[in-house]
Amino acid sequence: MAQTTEAPVAPPPRADERVGQKSTLARLFARPEAGAIAGAIVIYLFFFIIAPPFRNASSFSTTLYVTSTYGLMATPVALLMIGGEFDLSAGVAVTSSALCASLFSYEFTTNAWVGVVVALALSLLIGFINGWVVVKTGIPSFLVTLGMFFMLQGLNLALTQTITNQVASPDISTLQGFGSAQKVFASSFTIGGVNVRITVVYWIVWVIIATWILLRTRVGNWIFAVGGSAPSARAVGVPVAKMKIGLFMAVGFMAWFTGMHTLFQFNTIQSGQGVGNEFVYIIAAVVGGCLLTGGYGSAVGAAIGALIFGMVNQGIVYAGWNPYWFTFFVGALLLGAILLNTYIRRRAEASV
Amino acid sequence: MSTPQETPAPPARNGKGGPPLVRLVDAGKRYGAVIALQDINMEVSAGEVTCVLGDNGAGKSTLIKIIAGLHQPSSGTYEVEGTPVSFSSPREALERGIATVYQDLAVVPLMPVWRNFFLGNEVNKGPRMDIPAMKKMCKDELLAMGIDLRDVDQPIGTLSGGERQCVAISRAVHFGAKVLILDEPTAALGVKQSGVVLKYIIQARERGLGVIFITHNPHHAYPVGDRFLLLNRGKSIGYYEKNQVTRDELTGLMAGGAELEQLSHELESAGGAAAEVGRSLEQDVTELGIVHETEGGTSTGAATAATQQEGSSRP
Amino acid sequence: MPRSRRRAIGIALFMILPLVLAACSATGGKKAAQAAQGGGTSVAAGHANTQRYTIAMITHAAPGDTFWDIIRHGALAAAAKDNITLKYSSDPDPTKQAALIQDAINSKVNGIAVTDPNPAAICPTIQKAVQAGIPVVMFNAGVNNWQQCGGMSYFGQDESIAGLAAGKRLAQAGAKHVLCVLQATGQVQLEARCAGVAKGLGSEGTMTKVYVNGTDNSAMLSSMTAKLTQDKSIDAVITLGAPVALVAIQAISSANSTAKLYTFDTNAALIAKIKSGAVQWAVDQQPYLQGYLSVDSLWLYLTNGNIIGGGVTVLTGPAFIDASNVAKVSQYALAGNR
Repeated sequence: MAQTTEAPVAPPPRADERVGQKSTLARLFARPEAGAIAGAIVIYLFFFIIAPPFRNASSFSTTLYVTSTYGLMATPVALLMIGGEFDLSAGVAVTSSALCASLFSYEFTTNAWVGVVVALALSLLIGFINGWVVVKTGIPSFLVTLGMFFMLQGLNLALTQTITNQVASPDISTLQGFGSAQKVFASSFTIGGVNVRITVVYWIVWVIIATWILLRTRVGNWIFAVGGSAPSARAVGVPVAKMKIGLFMAVGFMAWFTGMHTLFQFNTIQSGQGVGNEFVYIIAAVVGGCLLTGGYGSAVGAAIGALIFGMVNQGIVYAGWNPYWFTFFVGALLLGAILLNTYIRRRAEASV
Repeated sequence: MSTPQETPAPPARNGKGGPPLVRLVDAGKRYGAVIALQDINMEVSAGEVTCVLGDNGAGKSTLIKIIAGLHQPSSGTYEVEGTPVSFSSPREALERGIATVYQDLAVVPLMPVWRNFFLGNEVNKGPRMDIPAMKKMCKDELLAMGIDLRDVDQPIGTLSGGERQCVAISRAVHFGAKVLILDEPTAALGVKQSGVVLKYIIQARERGLGVIFITHNPHHAYPVGDRFLLLNRGKSIGYYEKNQVTRDELTGLMAGGAELEQLSHELESAGGAAAEVGRSLEQDVTELGIVHETEGGTSTGAATAATQQEGSSRP
Repeated sequence: MPRSRRRAIGIALFMILPLVLAACSATGGKKAAQAAQGGGTSVAAGHANTQRYTIAMITHAAPGDTFWDIIRHGALAAAAKDNITLKYSSDPDPTKQAALIQDAINSKVNGIAVTDPNPAAICPTIQKAVQAGIPVVMFNAGVNNWQQCGGMSYFGQDESIAGLAAGKRLAQAGAKHVLCVLQATGQVQLEARCAGVAKGLGSEGTMTKVYVNGTDNSAMLSSMTAKLTQDKSIDAVITLGAPVALVAIQAISSANSTAKLYTFDTNAALIAKIKSGAVQWAVDQQPYLQGYLSVDSLWLYLTNGNIIGGGVTVLTGPAFIDASNVAKVSQYALAGNR
């Protein structure tokens, strides 16, 4: 029984036995958007089955249009929510921007683009004020922006009334520059016989940009940190105040962009518009996986949340349901989407 | 047996020869009428561990905040490598190489380990982050400290307390900290995990960092410390080098001798089982060699502690 | 200031200058509008030398509804002529509207002009005003029971009658399937209009309702487009407010529908659309007249004890504005009075 000693062979790198084999599917389900995607598929199939007009491409284009008008704002609102703050003034801010552009260029008979630039400055200023007050006073953004919401709502009505003696902005379609601005902000094009409005393209582009910022850049890392734990972020040197103000200004920027679309699509703006939309943006973000407490979420998820809202909104009309039940169904379907989202996320975490 | 004496700290010595990395001279901090710290002297040099001991409310957190740059001292000076400084933000202290690992760790629970690791110090490749490089660096750096993490993508909140501590420490070490301030790293940990953290403290020391180790546990402090600063109610009750104090003495000072004595009397007067406890406590007090003053003269414990300690500040 | 900075500012100003010069628009805008009106925009004429009275006008206007602007213009015109201070307030919520009426009573105004969209909530407060000795006239909404409420006169349009007239005209125009677009839910006047349209159509055609969100143009556009796409048999669309009609124009073209568009109520932009043929006709309840008559009738009562109407509704509509008479009306519409 001779003992043979073997030259010690380096053991093959041992796969860490604690790491379970995470299938690609499990990895996918762990993403914040997973629940939203599942919800979107379910709702699409639902309306596909029960509402024949929903199926064709032009109907989907209309649905995408509604989606994009909500989705454009839902994107920065989601980023802001990931950064740990709310903006309840986002809905009326869109109208404020549109009114500003319209009233300024009308009253001073300027080129329409001048109004556009002035409105941009105003919207960024509103965003800055929101962010600055939140950061300086430490009052919850929910309350600060609620105050701003009421102020903007009042200003929209009162200033329009004072300046034009009416409650809607005047017709600016005869101003120079209107045509070119309309091409930029409110045109549409045809693909394969289907009319697609340009906001859909802009929406997709902005979502891609926002996702890239969130996941692939330093600023995105800081957004997650500021929302997840502002004191921790501050302790490692992340400029928390600047980040928050920047996020509010991003909401302001998109309110301007959306307002310009509304203005150049519809020409006259009723000064009472926009109220109520702020909750749609937040719902879209939450359905898309953003935590109300911040630090978690995705821009793609918010886009899908907006899509779900758009499909529900339009699907009910296409299905010809009793219109009195409309708001009930909107609420029920959204609640369903959020529950599905939460269920999937819990399952994904449990399987890790 | 040398008696514990409060001597002014011996001239600074450090591994490389030169001024200490961090030095406080007669530092103090007031918040309005409240005196949080008074007349604190301490220093740490490269390759050394200075332990700051004290019970709750002793002023340890105020001390950390001053060194970390969150606050400025209201009196005295704060020197970094020999030059007086006045930090207006933690970022400035960080840039001078003074990194703090807080009790709550300054990590963002929902973010993955690698994102936390590089937070504030992200590696960029052009306009975007170099994510594969960061993930690899994170994994390697943790491995070098002896942590083999399952997956650097998992949210840091899913790690155990000890693992989180180690990630926080290795983060500070990786980013070129010269001085590491550890705020009660073992407070919430079990015995085994505490041992692991102490191991990293030694490793950091061996790498040439200066470590300021804050704790209220003298049994953790003594093995790794080169100097010990004891705080009580904002004042220093002792500042010793390792060779000037034994572990028991340290424990005794930490334990707040007079308070223990009073406690034992309270218990004894209660009678019954409490009195039993009180008596055994009195015995411990004696064994620890704590000297204290009561009205009408002093009572002493064992012979070793017979010498009065003149001028030692009492709580 | 360092030289480089000064230079940068100089260059920036230099670049902005041509932009400023190009900024003014040669067409459109306020300048053009004022030129078109040729002066004399408001209908204020002489000034009565009677005592200064205060009249409160309280409506159920939702903020931003252009329709009520026209009523206000009429009321202000009468107030200017009659040396009256007009206090205007509104709230779409009936309980809050009633509270506003109570505020007017407490301020001891000389007269109250009020709309009554919800008799159960509003009537009791109106009766209180009457008991307090304040004369009350009613207008625009509440045509069925204004006498019980204690109003002296009523100026307005019976929505059911207006709907009926509209429906008959739609039938005459050959509409077989009419889409009635309601911009709010739970509003009695809007429902009455659509019901009237259905009755007026009779056996000649059917009416379908769709509810849209009147505060969101994009949503309205999409909902109407969706409905028109879903039901290709719709050949006529009737909206209940001018802003909605303006959006409906786009919806009809988006859905590639051949439906013709009709509406209730007008505003300046809509008059232009009637001229251009995008809208066939509008049912005009002459809101300017409602506002004007409400204030003027109170003045007549306060100064001379007169009561208009003899206890019967004074109808201000329906009048139809279509291609045949739009030219006359459009000038007044530009001033915001039609």
